[in-house]
Order: sequence, then C-alpha cells, then structure tokens
Amino acid sequence: MLKSSTLAMILAGSRVDELNVLTYYRPKSAVPFGGFCRVIDFALSNLMNSGIEQVAILSQYRSYSLINHIGTGAAWDMIGRHRGISILPPFKDMDHADWYRGTADAVYQNMDFIRYHQPQEILILSGDHIYNMDYRQLISYHHEKEADLTIGFIRVDQDKAHRFGIAALDEEDGDRGGKVLKYWEKPEEPEATWASLTVLCFRPEVLYRLLKENQSSDSWEFGKDIIPMLMNEGGRVYGYKYDGYWGYTRTIEEYWQSNMDLLGEKPRINTEQWGVRTNLEHRGIRDFQPALIREEADVRNSLIYNGCTVEGTVENSILFPGVKIGKGAVVENSVLFFNNVVGERCSFNKVISDVNSSFGKGVRIGPESGEVAKGVTVVGWNNRVPQKTVIGEGATIYPNLTSDQWKDGVGAGEVLR
Amino acid sequence: MINKKDALVLLLAGGVGSRLNILVQSRAKPAVPFGGLYRIIDFSLSNVMNSGLTKVGVLTQYKPLSLMRHLGTGEPWDFIGRTRGVKILPPRTGFKDSDWYKGTADAVRQNIDFIEANPSDEVILLSGDHIYHMDFHAMLEFHRSKNADVTVGMMVVPREQIHQFGAGIIDSNNRIVEWEEKPQVPRTNLASMGIYVFNRKYLLNTLQRDRGEVDFGMHIIPWAIDNDNVFAYPFYGYWRDVGTIQSYWQANMDILSEDSEISPEKWGIRTNIETGQSPADRAPARYGSKASASCSLISAGCRINGRVVNSVLAPGVVVEEGALVKDSILFEDCVVQADAEVNLAICDKRVHVGEQAVVGFGDDHETPNRLHPKHLYTGITLVGKEAVVPNKHVIGRNCIIQSHTNPRAYEERRVADGETVGS
Repeated sequence: MLKSSTLAMILAGSRVDELNVLTYYRPKSAVPFGGFCRVIDFALSNLMNSGIEQVAILSQYRSYSLINHIGTGAAWDMIGRHRGISILPPFKDMDHADWYRGTADAVYQNMDFIRYHQPQEILILSGDHIYNMDYRQLISYHHEKEADLTIGFIRVDQDKAHRFGIAALDEEDGDRGGKVLKYWEKPEEPEATWASLTVLCFRPEVLYRLLKENQSSDSWEFGKDIIPMLMNEGGRVYGYKYDGYWGYTRTIEEYWQSNMDLLGEKPRINTEQWGVRTNLEHRGIRDFQPALIREEADVRNSLIYNGCTVEGTVENSILFPGVKIGKGAVVENSVLFFNNVVGERCSFNKVISDVNSSFGKGVRIGPESGEVAKGVTVVGWNNRVPQKTVIGEGATIYPNLTSDQWKDGVGAGEVLR
Repeated sequence: MINKKDALVLLLAGGVGSRLNILVQSRAKPAVPFGGLYRIIDFSLSNVMNSGLTKVGVLTQYKPLSLMRHLGTGEPWDFIGRTRGVKILPPRTGFKDSDWYKGTADAVRQNIDFIEANPSDEVILLSGDHIYHMDFHAMLEFHRSKNADVTVGMMVVPREQIHQFGAGIIDSNNRIVEWEEKPQVPRTNLASMGIYVFNRKYLLNTLQRDRGEVDFGMHIIPWAIDNDNVFAYPFYGYWRDVGTIQSYWQANMDILSEDSEISPEKWGIRTNIETGQSPADRAPARYGSKASASCSLISAGCRINGRVVNSVLAPGVVVEEGALVKDSILFEDCVVQADAEVNLAICDKRVHVGEQAVVGFGDDHETPNRLHPKHLYTGITLVGKEAVVPNKHVIGRNCIIQSHTNPRAYEERRVADGETVGS
C-alpha cells in the first residue's frame, strides 16, 4: 500500500474530571497505563496494526505530555512520505480565535488539513479507550453498506447504558452489524444496550456538510449533535458490532480495574498479543536496565518493567519503569507510575501513585495487608510523603504538596490539597 | 554544536573472540549480548557518547551483520545529525589495498582516508569488547597536558593476570619508559586497556612508516615508547575483558551483587532496543502466582511462573511453573518449560528447554569440555542459539549443545559432563 486512503482523527483533548489528580497536568489520553505505556497507545497501535498511517491528533488540554509522547511518530512506524502523525492544536486565524468548542468544532477548524489529504473515509476515534480492534473490518463494512456513517458499538449492561451514546441496531448482518434504527446520547432511561465506542467512520462529503451546518448551532459534539443530525435527515448510518475488551476508564475505580485486568492467569488485556507499542523515548524508558529483583524480594501476580529495583513484597500490582521498593515494604493491589520510590517497611493496599513521588520509611496507605480496600487512594505527582504518614483508603492527595502541607494522618476519603 | 576540538574515535570491533565459543558463532564479540538488554559494544559506544564525542568509525571484519544491525543509524547513542555520526568501516578492495585487516594497526592504516576526511587534533582508538565506564574527555585533557604523542589507558591488574595484557613501566611523570607485550614474567602490574589517544599527525606519520607493523600492542606502541613521548593514563574502576566464558559469566553476575561496581543504568549505558519477532513492544515482565525471583536481573517481556535465582534474563524469557533457573544467563526469548532446571548455564537466543529437562546437572565442575578444554572448565554449560533440549533430558556440566540442535541429535537422554551435542 503506497498511501493509506483513510485519514484518522484522534480526539485526545479532554481532561476527564473524574480522573482528578491523574489529569491535573495531562489529558486523559496521556495518562500512563499498563506498566509502560499511555492510554493513547492503544488507539495508535490499533491504527498501525490496521495499516492506517495518516493520523491527526486533536488536542488542547495541557498538550505537552502528549506532544512529547508522540514524538516523530516513528514508534508506531508512522513516519515517511505518506505516513505521519500530526498534532493539531487550536489556533487563531483572520476570522476565528476560539479554543476548540467541542469535538465536532475541533475537526471543523482543521477542515483544510483534512481536505489536503483527500481521504476516501475519515475515521474519528477517541484517544481515551483501552481496546484492540482492527478498523479495516469496520471500514470494509462501511463500504459494503455504502454508509454515510458507520459507528462501532459494544453491548453494555442496562444499568450502565446511561453513560454512553446508545443505539438500537437491527439484525441486518447478524453479529457483524446492522442499521442504526435509533440513537440517544447518554439517555436517562436507556431503551437499548449498544454503546458507542466513539469509533466513527464517515463518508468525507457527508462529514464536511454536517460540520459546516453544525457551526451555526450552540453545541459542537459528535455524539450529541452530529450523529443525531444525520439520523434526523435519514442518512445511512450503520453499526459495526465489536465484542472484544473495552476499557472505558472515566473514574479512578474504573481506571484501577482496567489496570487489574492486565493481571491474573488469563489477563483480559495482553499488550504484546494486541501489538501495542509505545514511544520508548518518552521519559527515556529505553535507557532503564532490566529490573533488579533483590534477595529479600517476593513478587507475585504482578507486572514489573525495566528500571525497577525490588527489595520488598509486590503482589497484584503494576510497577512502571524506575520504581524502587524498599526492604520490608509490602505493595498490594496498586499501580505505581514512573520513578516512585517506596521506602522501607511501607505498606500500600490499593494505591495509584502518579510519577516521581517518594514515600519515607513506614508510610501506610489503605487497609492492612490482605484486607479488601473499598476505595482507591490516589497520590498526585512529585510528592515527598514524610515517613510514618498514615493515609486512609480512598483518600486523594494533590500533586506537589509542600512539606508543611503534610500531617501525620490523612483520613479515609479525605482530600489533602 | 560544532567543535573542531572533538577527537575522532575509531572503535576496533573486528575481533573474533573465539574463546567465547558458540556465543560468537554467528556474531562478532562486540555484538555478544550482555546484562540482559545490552551488547558488549554498548559500553564503549556509550562511553564515547557520555564523553561528548560525536564522530565514530567502527572497524568491522568478523561476522559484522549482527553488529551493523545493532548500530543502526547510531541514533540510540545520539550519533545522528549533520556533523555527528557513526560509520561502519569494513575491509574493502581498492587499487592498493586488497586484503583483509591483518591487525589493529593495519585496519586503521587501511582507513587513513576516513581519518583524513574527519580532521581533528587527536584520534582515539578503542576496543569494542570491554565492559567498563570511562570518561575519554578526561583522558584527552591528560594527553594534552602532557604534550604526549600517544597516551595509553592503563590500570593495575593482579600480577597473575598480567600475561594477558600489554604491560608498561612508567616513570614518576607517568611517562612509559618500557613496554612488554604479554610478558610471561611480569615486572609491573600496570596493564594496557587497549585504549589509545594519538596525536592525529603522529598517527598518520607512524602508520606510513612501515606497512609490516600491523598491530598496535606488538609494533606501534613499543616503537613509540622507544622513540617518542608515550604516557600512561591511569584508570581506576571496573574494567573487564570479557573474552572468556568464565569472565563473561562473572561480569554478568557482578551486576547482581548488592555492592556492585557495575551498573549499566548509572553509567548511562544505552543500547539499541531491537524489536524481536513481534511487532509489539515488550510488555513489563509478568510474574505469575507461583513465581519466585531473587538476586536477578529480569528484562521486560519475561514471563516468570517458576523460580529464578541469581540469574540474568534477557527480554522475552519464559520460566514456567515448577521450573528453576539458577546462576545462569538466558538470552532473548528462551523458554524453560514446567519443572525443568537450568543451573550454571548460558543459553543463547530462543533456546527451548523441555519439561523436566536439566541443563547443568551434577557436582562435577572439574571435568572440562572434551573438545574445548580451554573454553569450558569451571562447570558452565553452553547452549547455542535455537537449540532444543528435549523433555526429561539431562545435560551435565561443561557441556556444549550446539546452535540449532534438534531433538534427533541426542543419542541418549543423559549427556555426560564435558560432552558436546550437535554439529
């Protein structure tokens, strides 16, 4: 294939309030995941493995971490005459000086970029989801049906359906897909259980027209505005049925659970089998030596990347590059991002700690070892937690606290800022 | 940054390193994997990078493909840019020179055009097969301050080892006054590390003098000591010539000790992370519910559900439930199946050890390998690239299982100490 006929646009600008301190300094798509990579790596690797090599990323919230992560695009082989990843930030021009007002507006503002590429189909994706999908199957279904828009859907539980764009699909092609009969954006009382994956394949002329018409509106979102517009005018909208893993991590609890899905005898997420790549240059993770597992270490049911040094116990946990676990420390059910340093005799149960935090000797977070913690405790980045601090389960620690902001104990569910 | 003061570096990577036996069957010694993620040449290359030097020629000759692939564009060591770079310099034919490199000096002589095309005041000559951490910038400063023609990197080694090295006797000003190449009866304990700084003009004049002088240690350096200003730059720290199976194994094990002098990460050693056979990046190492690991170096992509003790595991190694890997070095994507044991062994890439098999069995470490008694005599067993050790087979000590050995090559389930399987 000389030139990919598909142009992919990844929506990666959102912050996602519920992820709280983890998205304090970065967009959701740049949140670390799975012990070495970032959430957006799943969408990018899916594209690479689908042979779609023209990609644009729409980003506006704290883009630095994302720009840094994408680099040249070489990590996903998206470098070359007809291959590339372009990051499209908001910009000013002669008659326009707004931030992206919504997902549809973001795409509209980059219309000249899209037209320049003359795509045969435009694939709109979210950069926030954990899944493994071959987009070529959806695209070929799209062409087979001569659809104006084909949307990827997955079955969800009835009680969760109110959080998604929901469609009623017919059985035109059985398990493969069907016509979208009705579409509701985040319905309060859902009448169907097919949830949108935010994988949208548009016929370009239709998208151009819809986006232009939408400009005069006061809301500019694909789910809320564009899909309903096309449904109302009787466009050919099809649903492609996906039945693989889908990690929709909009809350801390969900994010923690998705991480735990990497563990166990038969992990539900397997990044190597899925063909996931990341940018090994980002944070220099390629320069870490293999993990040093010391004499006193005890490691079970865990993922540990290069650059870690383990002298304590690690169970049901994920350690990103450069994490150090001191002697006698016990870390369970936890996810520790890059370069956390856990002091001797610390005890962690159900903790997510953002990058570069260090914990003095004997810090205790969450319930006793072996007990089931209800809430996840989240520690923001660049914290120096004084020794012997006790932090209850479900607490939230803001990033960059100064030493005078610390106290001996932080209660369960408390927010320290 | 363009700095004319930058010295040109020539890295001699042509050596066969035959004492490393099957580890150098399909690759040059500098390309032999080391410390899980690295190759031996990474240490020299990273030292060059960390010394702020940006122009490197790598002289290759023996089985260079693996080495060339590893060097790639030079980008992992920042040798990329308009005025930076790493060039591979293989032997070539021409009007005058139509021969293989006959020695270190001959190799450099045949690349005089490369030296002339990259003008610099000094040329640094390095060997690509040592494990060490050194600041060449400091050595250059020393060389300049002494107004030396040649400066030789030297360190103190135990007297019983001096016979492997070039040995120098120095005066109180660090000037080398006498030289002995591999002396049987040592008069000094100061050994050459095979690291030389030459004034560029001096090097060019010297190489033009006599084409019969093909080796630095044997010919060029002794002549220079007798006639010109040669100084010894003293080096203190960890430096190993990992030219034997025993020293190679020991240097790997040195990384594991608590008070280790060697730390690739702290030393800023970089490597070219080569993608394996999968398009995906290596995931973090996965430890199962039955895993137990201690005193080990474990790379990304490993899957551990057995016991790993005192061992170095490259990316993608699988240790299944009930298996034991002890005192061993496993290269990429080796598989140790359930209830198998690998004990005091070095396994090249993609070795497969079947269920309940044992590699490295018994208490007799003394019976040397029958075919290569000078290579294997301390108990270490070698398993070559992609060799298979079938289920329930038992391999003794000091054995060699040749590369690509398949199950049919085994006459019996028991391979006695010192025996070799495969061809």
